[in-house]
Amino acid sequence: MFYQTKFRSITLIAALIFLASYASFGSYFAREIVVEIIILAILAISLDLCAGFGGMVSLCHGAIMGVAAYAFAIMSAKLGWPLFPSALIGLLAAVVVSGLVGWVTARTNGIFFIMATLAFGQMAYTFFFKSRWLGGDDGMGGISRFDLSAIGLEMNNSLTFTYLGLGVLLLAYGLTAMVMRSGFGRTLSGIHVNEDRMKALGVNTAAHRAKAMAFSGFIAGLAGLIAAQHTLYISPELLIWTTSGEALIVVILGGLGTLVGPVIGAILLILMKHEISDYTDYWHAFIGLVLIFTVLAGGRGVFGQIEYWLNSLRSRHHDTDNHQTAGKPQGGDHA
Amino acid sequence: MLEVKGLSKDFGGLHVIRDLSLSVTAGERRVILGPNGAGKTTLFHLLAGTLKPSKGEIFLDGQPIKAFDAVKRARLGIARSYQKNNLFETLTIRENLMLAAAAALGKSTHMVKDSSRHPDIRQRIDEIAEQVSLADQLDQTVGTASYGNRRQLEVGLALATRPKLLLMDEPTSGVGPTMIDRFHRLLEQLPRDITVLIIEHDMDLAFGVADRITVLNFGEKVFEGTPEDTRGNATVRDIYLGTGGYHA
Repeated sequence: MFYQTKFRSITLIAALIFLASYASFGSYFAREIVVEIIILAILAISLDLCAGFGGMVSLCHGAIMGVAAYAFAIMSAKLGWPLFPSALIGLLAAVVVSGLVGWVTARTNGIFFIMATLAFGQMAYTFFFKSRWLGGDDGMGGISRFDLSAIGLEMNNSLTFTYLGLGVLLLAYGLTAMVMRSGFGRTLSGIHVNEDRMKALGVNTAAHRAKAMAFSGFIAGLAGLIAAQHTLYISPELLIWTTSGEALIVVILGGLGTLVGPVIGAILLILMKHEISDYTDYWHAFIGLVLIFTVLAGGRGVFGQIEYWLNSLRSRHHDTDNHQTAGKPQGGDHA
Repeated sequence: MLEVKGLSKDFGGLHVIRDLSLSVTAGERRVILGPNGAGKTTLFHLLAGTLKPSKGEIFLDGQPIKAFDAVKRARLGIARSYQKNNLFETLTIRENLMLAAAAALGKSTHMVKDSSRHPDIRQRIDEIAEQVSLADQLDQTVGTASYGNRRQLEVGLALATRPKLLLMDEPTSGVGPTMIDRFHRLLEQLPRDITVLIIEHDMDLAFGVADRITVLNFGEKVFEGTPEDTRGNATVRDIYLGTGGYHA
């Protein structure tokens, strides 16, 4: 179950400050990296919600993100709608598609769920890849940027754009954390741990899982909107299953079921990628080694492992002080 | 309150429940007795909706509920505790009760408020923890809790939904005499607006709490009566207790 502990809040704020400084003190290229991190972090948060709390390891989250980006681009660039309602349509499309996938797969678990989501994701990918109207494999340009000059923000300024992106990341985290602490989120964890007992307690678990997927689609949709606004160009690459796979790597690297972990994981993965690729083309191998190490070290992920150490330190401290370990547990739980 | 008419359940050629009829009045404590394989747990599956009957009808407060699934029946107020612990193993006892309380209070679909801080949910957790004597163990993870505590939680989860009809499948299975006494007291203190069906092998407990006793054998009802009648009944002795006396 999710608890927004002090340690999690501090880590998240520290990560955001780090990203903001990296962007403001760095070059244009540094800002590109930060935006890349933001998009991946939001997608990973959305996936953590499903996989970490609901036990639904989805391989179609990239596709859901892509659906939002395409729906937004179709409405604004093809049909000439204003940007704001187009963005809402983009989010709505992600919610509907994700909810439908959740509804259809609600009675499958484990490998079958993974395969079903993979199939749905690849269907969406193929659809956009083959669609001539939407540019097919060439992708689709002609998307215009949000004009926020009315509130004094110049979106074409890369630093402003990055800061706004960080704001959306904070929003995505905040919304997800709120929902995971709520009755809805905790019940999702309960379904993951023991679905039959949850049914016996009167919870319609299939509908609950579908709703969780729909909400997760909303968060993934936010990532899709930033992706479309960032390059003003989108391609079917967004929907390909390896995008979902990368998000899954990020979640596992950072710490499944922690919400902060995905943010840390995204920072680590993207920074490693850019730093190591300066020296060798085999940067994937290095990330692979790090991932193998994290999994073998207990599978808690980098953030999850640190949290685990801190908790064991604290409980040892409590034991020696002979204190009652009252109150809520301090996180680090995978359910 | 609970009316069962001509209930049957076949698994292939095996008749696990045969033409069973039951009538339980509101607030009654009904003990179900019977040797292993008599169909007691299957009966609970049929009542809770986790198995579909082959034949027969089930009425709760006059409403036919045969067509309803387990979720809908739970919402109508049927709760169940299991013979084998069926808990949220990786969560704490508090979190287990939180899930049950949130579901019962209609908070399991609320998306804004932190359910662990919700006053109604907290109050319900404290009440149930008190009732099943787990107030001091609330922050223990279920997976590391003692077997006795887990049995208590098993009943606690069912009680936390404030059911109208409580189905308890051998709540004392595998626990010692102290714990059996504790369950005995718990059952005596349960408010009478809860109707209780209980499968129990401990004879003192069974005869102590029962208003009426139903005895099953090979899926059929072979006897029904007060505890006194049951004690004196020769068929029951033969089938269930054996000729040697009160041995479960």
